[in-house]
This record gives sequence, structure tokens and C-alpha cells, in this order.
Amino acid sequence: MLLMLLAPGAGYLLLFFGLPLALAFLSSLGIGTIGADSAFTFRHYVELFTSSVYRDGIAFSVYISLAPTIVSLAIAIPLAVALQASFPGKRLFAVLYKIPLVVPAIVAAFVVMILFDRGGMLSRMLLPFGLQLPKLVRDDFAIGVIIAMAWKAVPFMALIIAGALATVPGDLKAAARTLGAGRLATFLRVELPLALPGITAAALLVFVSSTGAFAVPSLLGPIYPRPLSIWMYEEAMHENNWGLASAMGIVLSAVACVILVAYYRLTTSVHRSAGGEAR
Amino acid sequence: MTVLVSATEELAVDIPAAPRPARRGWWLSIGLYAAITLTLIAPLFVTFLWSMVDPKTGWFAPDVLPRSLSLIHWQRAFEDRGLMTSLFTSLFISAVVMILSAALALPTAYALAKIPFKAKRAIEMFILAPLIVPGLIVGVGIGFVFFRIGLAYTVPGVILAQTIGTLPFMIRVLAATLESIPADLVNAARTLGASPLRIGWHILVPLAWPGFIAGGLLSFVGSFEEFEKTFIVGAPQVETLTVKLWTVLGGKVMIFPNAAVVTFIVLAPTILIFFLAERAMKNDGALAAGMGKL
Repeated sequence: MLLMLLAPGAGYLLLFFGLPLALAFLSSLGIGTIGADSAFTFRHYVELFTSSVYRDGIAFSVYISLAPTIVSLAIAIPLAVALQASFPGKRLFAVLYKIPLVVPAIVAAFVVMILFDRGGMLSRMLLPFGLQLPKLVRDDFAIGVIIAMAWKAVPFMALIIAGALATVPGDLKAAARTLGAGRLATFLRVELPLALPGITAAALLVFVSSTGAFAVPSLLGPIYPRPLSIWMYEEAMHENNWGLASAMGIVLSAVACVILVAYYRLTTSVHRSAGGEAR
Repeated sequence: MTVLVSATEELAVDIPAAPRPARRGWWLSIGLYAAITLTLIAPLFVTFLWSMVDPKTGWFAPDVLPRSLSLIHWQRAFEDRGLMTSLFTSLFISAVVMILSAALALPTAYALAKIPFKAKRAIEMFILAPLIVPGLIVGVGIGFVFFRIGLAYTVPGVILAQTIGTLPFMIRVLAATLESIPADLVNAARTLGASPLRIGWHILVPLAWPGFIAGGLLSFVGSFEEFEKTFIVGAPQVETLTVKLWTVLGGKVMIFPNAAVVTFIVLAPTILIFFLAERAMKNDGALAAGMGKL
């Protein structure tokens, strides 16, 4: 009975998600690859970690994952705090701020081009003041990529962090205030630590989604270095080198799996402790 | 209990600010709306202007506003067979993905919400995985299989690939909804001889309806705006709107007005359905449940 219930959902994912990842794992080790002899080998992993092109790619992937995470945290935490207060027009704002969640990443990339590229809206508006924007699209520091990814990540983070802040029991805050802590001290020493699992979970998800980003770095990123995700796409679709592409996919999936376990632990423990305190 | 707690909180926190609590709310409101105007509404307005640029005069560098406006790009877009096909392909795929996800999710969500079993944590974690493993990797993995069995470059292939992304979300939203349904109802129906299918259709579906609406609408949006998996499994034969936008932007000649029109054709249904989903959800419960039990 239980298996019959689990079969449609979990079975579907096993077949279309688990199986392809298992095949990719085998193919990264040289087994069952299209267009190559089937023989066990670590060649693809060795190539991935010794080639300077791919090592730059890995470093760049880490950079364009960390930077948007930090930028969006810096914006999302104050936003989540603001969302705890009541203010006129809050209901409308609570819907509006979430719109970037459903805006496709390509659209975000396009809008960044329109606004920040040379000759874009911002440089036109600065022109009368004699100011010139530095290169922000396809630049070496991937500023355009960071802007687009952080823009999409802020509402997501704010949503989760606001949820975590809302579960902090009101009497704890009241107790801190009664004992003489100011608003800021209450926030920094009571609310923030209690909401920390939620904040960490949000940061982990933003990090991992940036690691696998494809559209934004291809449209806004520099020509070189390119993130591992783009190399993986190139090797798979253009070079027909499935073995190497699989090895890259497995490395990226391994990062995702570590984050998955950490995320699951954080979210379920938050759930439990919040439940415990409510009782 | 909760009433008491919030009462004490208000006493402790709001009394020092009592002389002008209303004004503080206004300043916060002004600040937040200014921020959203700057980061969301103004950029969309500039994009909209790009879609209205008159091709005769263009919109070149020093001009902050276009010299003249025209509807020609919009008119051409609606006469463009390829673009309209993309729109209908996208709508069709998203509708099927939504229904397929809901149908596949219900039994599994019920098992996760109501039946205690040993490997539950492992299964929960496995179901969370496709939400966390990036779409590009899932796409290349499933593409690798679909190339072999002939599902690549087909609409069914794209539907199956997109469902990998929406199903976990749907399962988690439905499981969260089903948790609050009393187990007695199902047990009573079973004792009275109802088949599992009848129980599902006559008891679980009506009771979990809010979850279906919220999860279904968000699955639709998730499918409509999906790019990576669709691009790898379907392009260039199956062109959804996001894939179309990619070809407009990634081509050798980038035509801003065309991209701007496609942007709004993608955004209009997405934002409309997102608003409906937001109305259907009384709080952030479903969205949060989909992403994590927070």
C-alpha cells in the first residue's frame, strides 16, 4: 500500500531524475559513454581538476555564487525585518516584492543589459553630469551577473528570512526589552540568532542556484573565465564530450548534495524547535 | 495563549513609540515603495519604452526618452506566426505539466503527510533534491537519456523534463496541506468500503483543494518561466517563450525592441497567475512549504 502511494511521485523522480544522474556518474567514469570505448577511467576528473581553463572555471563558479549570496543577504535581511512591521500598503507590497521570484532569469538578464550596459539607460542619465559608468556588462568582475542574480534572489531570501523571524516567540523579544535591551540589541542578540537557521538555509539555496546558473552568466558574464555550468553545457551539446560533461555535472551535483543535506537538517530542526517552543 | 503573547509584545514594544507610531509606518511605507519603484517598476517601464520604439527614429545613446513611439513591434509580434506558436506551446506545456504534477503528487504527498514509515527522511530528502540540484544539470542528465530513446526535441519530452522541477514543489505543498486533514475521515471511508481512487477523488482532492490551487498555479508559473531543461531537451524544435527570448537575445544581431515585446508576452501571464496564486494563499504558507518547512 505504502509503495503504491509512493510510486507515482517518488517513482517518477527516481526514473527521470535519479536514473539520469546515476548514468551521468557512470559516464563520468568512462562507462557507457556515447561515442567512446567503455572502460573505467578517472581521466575526465583528472582533466577537470588539472586543466587551467576548468580550474579558472571552478574558481569563477565559486565567485559568481558567493557574491550574489552576500549581496542579496545584505538587502534581504533588512527587508525581512521591515516586513515584520505593519505599514500602510503592506498587503500590496507583500505581493509586489515577490515578483522577481517568477521573472525568468533571461528577462532579468535582458533588463540588466537595457539599464547597465554601455549606452544603456543609466549611462544616458549620467551623461549630462559628465559621469561615465564603468563597464558593467560582460566585465571582468561579472558585476552584471551579480546584479541580475541578486535581484532574483532578494525576494526569495526575504521570504524565508521573514518566515524565520516571524517564528521567534514574541515573549522572548518582550523579555529582552523588559530586561533593558534596546531595539537593536534585541534584534542582534535575540532575533537574529534564533532566525539564523532560516537565514543559513536561504543563503545555501541562493548559493547553489547561482552555482548552476546558465542563462545569466552566458548573457552578462565575461568571455573568460566562464563558470563550470557553461563549460558543462558546451562539452555536452557542442563538443559531444559526454564523459567530461558528466564529470562536471557530478562535481556540481556533489556540491548541490552537500547543500541539500545541510538544508534539510536546518529546515527540519527549525521546524521541530519552533514546534517545541509553541508548546 | 497567542492573544496573550501578542498583547504583551505590543505593550512592551509599542509604548515607547506611542507618540507617533503612524508616522513611522508611513516613512517605512514610502521607503519600501520607493525601493520597489526603483528596482522593479522603473526597469519594467524602460523595457516597455523599448518595445514602443519607432523603428524610423530609433532610440540612440544620448536620448533618455525615445523620440517617437510606435506600436509596430507589438503589431508585428502578434502577426508573427512563430512567436504565437511559441506562446501556445508554452501555455499548453505549462497546463499539462501542472495537471501531471498534481496527479502524480497527490498519492505521494498523502503517504508523506499521513503514514509513518522508516525511510521517510531519506525519501523526503530525495524529493527535495530536484529543487536544489540546478536545472542545467538535471537538463543535461535527462537530455542524455532522451537523446537515446527519441524523446529529445519533442513536446512530451519537454513536459516530462519540466515535471521533474515542478513535482517536488507540488508534493511538498500538498503534503503540508494534507497534514491538517483528520485521518479519521479517510479511515471511515475505507471502513465503509471506498476504493483508494474514490477516497482520493471524493475526500482528499476536495479537502486539499487550497493546496491544489496554490501548488498548481505555482507549478504553472514554474513551467512557464522554465528555461534550462526546456532549452536542452527541446530546443530548437520545441520553442517555448523563454527559449524564443534566448534566441532573440543570444543571436548575432540583438534587436532590443523585439526582445522587449517577447519579455512582456512572457511576463504578462506569469505575473497574472502569480497574483492569482498569491490571492489563493492566505499567507506565505504554500510558498514556504514548497521551499522548506520554515
